[in-house]
Amino acid sequence: MRAPVSHRFVRLLAALGLAGALLLPALAAPARAAGEKLVLRVGTTQDLDSINPYQTLLVTGYEAFELTYNLLVDFGPDLEPIPGFADKWERAADGKSWKFHIRTGMKWSDGTPATAQDACYSWGLAVVAIKADAHIGAGYLDPGLKDAGVTKVECPDDQTMIAYTTDASDRILQTYLTIIPRHIWGAKDYKAIGEAKFEAPLVGTGPYTLAEWKTSQYARFVRNPNYWGKQGAADEVVIQFFKSADTMVQALKAGEIDYARGPNADQLKALQNQPNVKTVVGSANGWTQLAFNGYGASNGKTIKGGGPSTKALLDPAFRDALGYAVDKKVLVDRVLGGFGDVGNTIVPPVLGQWHVEPDHPRTFDIELAKQKLDAAGYKLDGEGRRLDKEGKPISLRVFLPDTNDSDPKVAQFVKDWYGQLGVKVTTQVRDSATLGNIVLPPEAGKDYTANYDIELWGWAGNPDPNALLQIFKCDAIGSSSDSQYCNPEFDKMYEAQTAATTAAERKTILATMQNLIYDQAVYDILYYDANLVAYRTDRFGGWQNQPTANGTPLFSYGSINYTLLTDATAVPSPTPTVSSTPAPSPVPGSSATPAPTPVPSGSGGTGGGGGDNTALYVGILVAVLAAAGVGLALVMRRRKGTPREEE
Amino acid sequence: MSARYLARQSAQAIFTILMIVLLNFLLFRMMPGSPDRVNPRNPNVTAEQREAAKARWGLDQPLIPDQLVAFVGSTLQGDLGYSMKFQGQPVLKVIGDRFMPTVLLIGLAELIAIVLGLALGAYTGWRRGGMADRIGNGLSLILYSMPYFVIGMPLIIIFAAGLGWFPTSGMLTAGASYAGPGQFLADLLAHLVLPLATISLGLIGGYSILMRSSITETRAEDYIATARAKGLPDGKILRSHAIPNALLPAVTLIAINLGYVVGGAITAEIVFNWPGLGTLTVDALNSRDYPVLQGIFLLLGVSVVLANFVADIVYGYLDPRVRQ
Repeated sequence: MRAPVSHRFVRLLAALGLAGALLLPALAAPARAAGEKLVLRVGTTQDLDSINPYQTLLVTGYEAFELTYNLLVDFGPDLEPIPGFADKWERAADGKSWKFHIRTGMKWSDGTPATAQDACYSWGLAVVAIKADAHIGAGYLDPGLKDAGVTKVECPDDQTMIAYTTDASDRILQTYLTIIPRHIWGAKDYKAIGEAKFEAPLVGTGPYTLAEWKTSQYARFVRNPNYWGKQGAADEVVIQFFKSADTMVQALKAGEIDYARGPNADQLKALQNQPNVKTVVGSANGWTQLAFNGYGASNGKTIKGGGPSTKALLDPAFRDALGYAVDKKVLVDRVLGGFGDVGNTIVPPVLGQWHVEPDHPRTFDIELAKQKLDAAGYKLDGEGRRLDKEGKPISLRVFLPDTNDSDPKVAQFVKDWYGQLGVKVTTQVRDSATLGNIVLPPEAGKDYTANYDIELWGWAGNPDPNALLQIFKCDAIGSSSDSQYCNPEFDKMYEAQTAATTAAERKTILATMQNLIYDQAVYDILYYDANLVAYRTDRFGGWQNQPTANGTPLFSYGSINYTLLTDATAVPSPTPTVSSTPAPSPVPGSSATPAPTPVPSGSGGTGGGGGDNTALYVGILVAVLAAAGVGLALVMRRRKGTPREEE
Repeated sequence: MSARYLARQSAQAIFTILMIVLLNFLLFRMMPGSPDRVNPRNPNVTAEQREAAKARWGLDQPLIPDQLVAFVGSTLQGDLGYSMKFQGQPVLKVIGDRFMPTVLLIGLAELIAIVLGLALGAYTGWRRGGMADRIGNGLSLILYSMPYFVIGMPLIIIFAAGLGWFPTSGMLTAGASYAGPGQFLADLLAHLVLPLATISLGLIGGYSILMRSSITETRAEDYIATARAKGLPDGKILRSHAIPNALLPAVTLIAINLGYVVGGAITAEIVFNWPGLGTLTVDALNSRDYPVLQGIFLLLGVSVVLANFVADIVYGYLDPRVRQ
């Protein structure tokens, strides 16, 4: 008979062995050194929704197509126009047409010559769509051409594209319309291309082309061997999608990713003291606002079963008074952890020359707000409730999206501040698609009722302020307007600034427009959000913000910043004598991978290459199950065998 | 085992699955939120375009009977439709891509937890009141009450970001290409260790607590006293008499838990960015991707029903009384 102690000992050994067997191969696994390729790894918590440039709604989608394709004219370090698909351009003497010179000898990543015909095809799609009063796909790219007044494009030869415009502005140099290869998409018209399924690998003229996309996991871009410009140090760019910002931050700390987009304020603060990590607080091209539902203010219309709950919201004096009750500094400090700027006018400061501070700024002063409400005819009743002019207590329904954790906090502050004025606030959180539908009025369709009082949400714009200005135009009611504001005077100024031929002239008009919206308190812009970013400096150097003053290195405009990155590991840090020798140095152009490489074995990809993996998983499972089975069988046998002899 | 018992269990299982199909349809449509793919705030989209997008997904039709009939009909034919979020890919493919990662992770974790949990429970139950019990049971209770992210995050901070032994997240190095299956396997195992440890730790408590109480009860049985009276050694009584009888409740728990394997472990998968069905569920929920949600819940429902079915059969085999 064996002693129980030895039993236990044997079992302990077996358990340790099992644990060891599980751990050992893992420990033996190479850290991350997969070959010599220098891979730039970028982390973001935003998923990629589509790789069709006309369909994507998200910043990651823009990043994907901007890496792969070129704009006709690109954005420079400070958003100034720089050569892109076209290397030169000139305006005709009358200012109504532009001649673009397309690069000589440029090729697509698959080796096909890239010519003016590609540019004419891509811009032509938008021109046709504009003429048909329609849009391509989600409709975010073509309005740029409409804004620039482009009416016709023609390509007399392979190196020349001429664009005709209705006005003499230079907005044509800031259009966000990619040039896609005609030899691949040429058969599709503007409707078909908007719906087209783009699949990796993509063919482009940008510095890196999309080679692989695993939905919700990562998108991999390989260096375009035919890229015409300066090549960045990275052989590949992998954008990884994280479900949790905490995990993304840990991955940055561990050196698994080189760039983390969008850690929160606390995470950023914690990263500030990490070695080899730099943090950036960029100014976002957008804001978070309280949008007041002013439906019917301009035309007296009402909505059955919908619209604002009180007419007070249509009164600029009422909205103005509310503005004094909001302490934006507190919001920035307490909600954003100090990262962000107090908001005021509808052109964010990141757009530099176009932004103006308001002529009549509102400052936080609850008592003043009360006085202004009293003066405007909104009195308190015996129970301390603020009454509208119909004698009804004012109770405002604030709707906000469920997409971030700062909005609910803001709502709580606003509830408290408005409450001090005797204005009751109820808040309701909705998913963004639902919220988008709630704020739509009947102009968008018979089912919509704009049944809200205040929408707490935000907007993000383009390098040109027009994208943010247009949501206050009369014709935005029924689409993007969430204030239901309509003022023909504003519309007139919008047209005038679009047609302005000089920057000074445009700026003057823009200043008036910004003050008009501010004074009428159509929106209460709470703050200009900050873009928080952290990146590592031990593998890549050459990080540069775009715009340089208050932007971020990546996820900005165009692809220039990827091409500025250098290999930090190739530079011998302490002694300059041992000059840059081998390392995994990516000599521009030379070590480049052949263009759109097929999906590697270790990944499912789109072509159904997942077979390998599945076999392996099954193999692992079978092995484990077999081992468990054998173990079980042994135990059973012993149990069946031994006890009997002993009993 | 009688054929009648089998037939009754099968009929029950099939009926339950049919009810799941129906419930699946209604459940997600009762949920607040909109599956609109077209951004309503887009200034450049017309009312017609919005309507066209709805029509394309059949969302313009009345919920009952049109949408319901179409859904039940195609589900019975094995067609789960197309994902709204993932570029119109077939739901079967979307779910299929995430199936193996989840089964690998949760399945292995269950196995480890079952073996270690039951062993721990049996030992602490047998040594009730002793030091081993106090520590073991205390540990079990702590682990049982900890959500995965509470276990997982410290593991990441210590072993991944701190010591650098394992990668922080993902199932494979994103975008890596491998020279051979060996390299692939090494990468996979390295990524597997922390999430596997997290989920195993989280599951061990449940098994251990159940087994402990079960063993404690068994300890008081007459046949144990008899065995003792016969002079059998302690370990022998535990292994040969107590454990086999105490395992019965564990079978049920194991069966039910195995049914949930395909559901994934949402919080653990999110913390470790594991590309499994748990993260897919969250993605699909956030975008109100009805077809994918229906697919996941159908898969989950069916596997839970099947696991229970198997448990019933096994139980019937183990304990003749339930067959009556």
